[in-house]
Amino acid sequence: MRVCCGLTGHLELARRPDLYGKPVIVGRWDEHVVAASEETLPFGVTPGMAMRQAEHLCPQATFVLPDEEATDRIRELISASLYDLAPVVEVRGEGIAWLDTSGVAAPGASIRDARHRLLKAIGREPRLGLSPGPFSARLAAARARPGHLLRVADAREFLAPLPSRELPLDAEQLERLDLLGLRTLGAVAAIGPRELESQLGRDGRHAVQLARGLEPDQLDAWRPPLFTSAHRQFEEPVEDREALLFVARGLCSDLADELGLRGAGAKHVRVRLELESAARETRESVVRHPLSSTVELFGLIGGWIKEWQPSASITELWIELPVLEGAGRRQLRLWAGGDGTSQEVEAAMERLQERFGDGVIARVSFA
Amino acid sequence: MQEVALETAINSIRVRFGSQALTRAAEMPPPQPWSSGTPVDQLTGIGGLPRGRLSLFTGSGTSGKLTVALSLLAQATHEFAHAMVIDGGGFDPWMLIPFSPEPGALTVVRAPAPEVAGEAAATLARAGAGFILMLGGVPEHWLGPLESGANRSGTVLVGVVDAPNRALAHASSFSLGFSRHDWIWERGQLVGLRVTARCVKNRVAPPLGETELEIRYPLGTQTLTDHRVQVTEVIDGLEPCASAVV
Repeated sequence: MRVCCGLTGHLELARRPDLYGKPVIVGRWDEHVVAASEETLPFGVTPGMAMRQAEHLCPQATFVLPDEEATDRIRELISASLYDLAPVVEVRGEGIAWLDTSGVAAPGASIRDARHRLLKAIGREPRLGLSPGPFSARLAAARARPGHLLRVADAREFLAPLPSRELPLDAEQLERLDLLGLRTLGAVAAIGPRELESQLGRDGRHAVQLARGLEPDQLDAWRPPLFTSAHRQFEEPVEDREALLFVARGLCSDLADELGLRGAGAKHVRVRLELESAARETRESVVRHPLSSTVELFGLIGGWIKEWQPSASITELWIELPVLEGAGRRQLRLWAGGDGTSQEVEAAMERLQERFGDGVIARVSFA
Repeated sequence: MQEVALETAINSIRVRFGSQALTRAAEMPPPQPWSSGTPVDQLTGIGGLPRGRLSLFTGSGTSGKLTVALSLLAQATHEFAHAMVIDGGGFDPWMLIPFSPEPGALTVVRAPAPEVAGEAAATLARAGAGFILMLGGVPEHWLGPLESGANRSGTVLVGVVDAPNRALAHASSFSLGFSRHDWIWERGQLVGLRVTARCVKNRVAPPLGETELEIRYPLGTQTLTDHRVQVTEVIDGLEPCASAVV
């Protein structure tokens, strides 16, 4: 396993790029600090401490209320944008993005792309680390300069001099390590897992494995959501087909952008018309090749709308993609030819078959 | 203020009809040629059939236009992932065998009506099929989508018709008129025909002229695959001719 880690700072801070370079503390009053910018570190502010204490330590900081929903959206956005760079991608709200580059043909290019995409998403240069596992990759990234990559060949050797406080243990367990004189990861790695397990429980064994660079943890791979939809509600009920086509194209474009971000394609397409004084009308189709571009989506949906005869004025148009399929990195220009993407041509032929019957397309064989 | 309004109008056109529906003239690339390796390339003036434009082969029956088109189609099956035939009726894939095509790249669209042919051609051109051969005309209202689709994707579009209607002739960027002027007989046996291919319209380069082609049929008891239909140019130099816009 070769894991690249990009550190960006907590995603709560990414919501306010206008405050970059200033001391910022995120948290709710009478609760704990959720995130703090690097500029607050000299004042002794750390995530997890009481907000009131943080306010005393760094009164000049800007205090921001956390917004979990917005942070989740940013995390989804980053996950989606990194999805096609490596088979396994995990992004955490703390501002950690991991990519497992094992098996990637050009890992260097993937890491470069990851840096650019993180910069674009967050607005700050990420610190990058490349190591045999997620734990050592994160620690390597934390020690890299912004926009630079720190490579680690031997995880155990790299970890040995680092403080044992880097281990994912609670405050009490870390205190106990300190009392035992295990102040570096090298010292933790030198004792047996059973010995530390007897002191700290199961976490002790885990800590020894981490300190030895054995990387017991696996990444929790992000998967694109399997359903998406877009809709438009009309202020005035619509009867004009041109207007409906116009709106449908816009919705297809939005959905295609979203699918592109997720690296997904639609296997099932459903269009729903909500009518003013009649029951809703629906048309749907399962396609053999996933549709992901505006042209592909609108080619199918536009064809339906052109011949649709709704029984009443339309109040709302819904385009739903109930089944998505990970398209990953599309094999563009798969063959020697200089023509367009084979998938788009295949999808176009499929649409023609859906409209005019299977017999309209004949594959030639001289056998 | 006017500039803002103009930019808004341009953006709304792009949103409604696609990003390439409106292109500034300075951004428009010159027509790119697809070199087929046949004598037709020299007649276009750019070294090959124009990509993203409609080329028409016209002429009365038995003038060799379909044979030349089939040789282009066979060549396209080797060079493109998708070579399409929009068949208005009467296309037999076995006619292609003497040209040694790559069958895996060839797809035939059986269009029972011109409307289907038009929609299929426009859809496939927009999707980016490499080469489309249209046997027969398409309704006038499909010519616009067909042209714009091909223009965006760079599809090589070739139409074969006896006599194009006004709209089709107008939509084409390059048009070759074929006329047979002689049969070729050897030892009392008909072995081919001699035709004149004349550029009657050319929007991608100055109209060049005409050339004489010799089209030889596969003969004898040998199987068809032992022969390749020969389409050879008889006249070395190209003679300028008075161009006529169809």
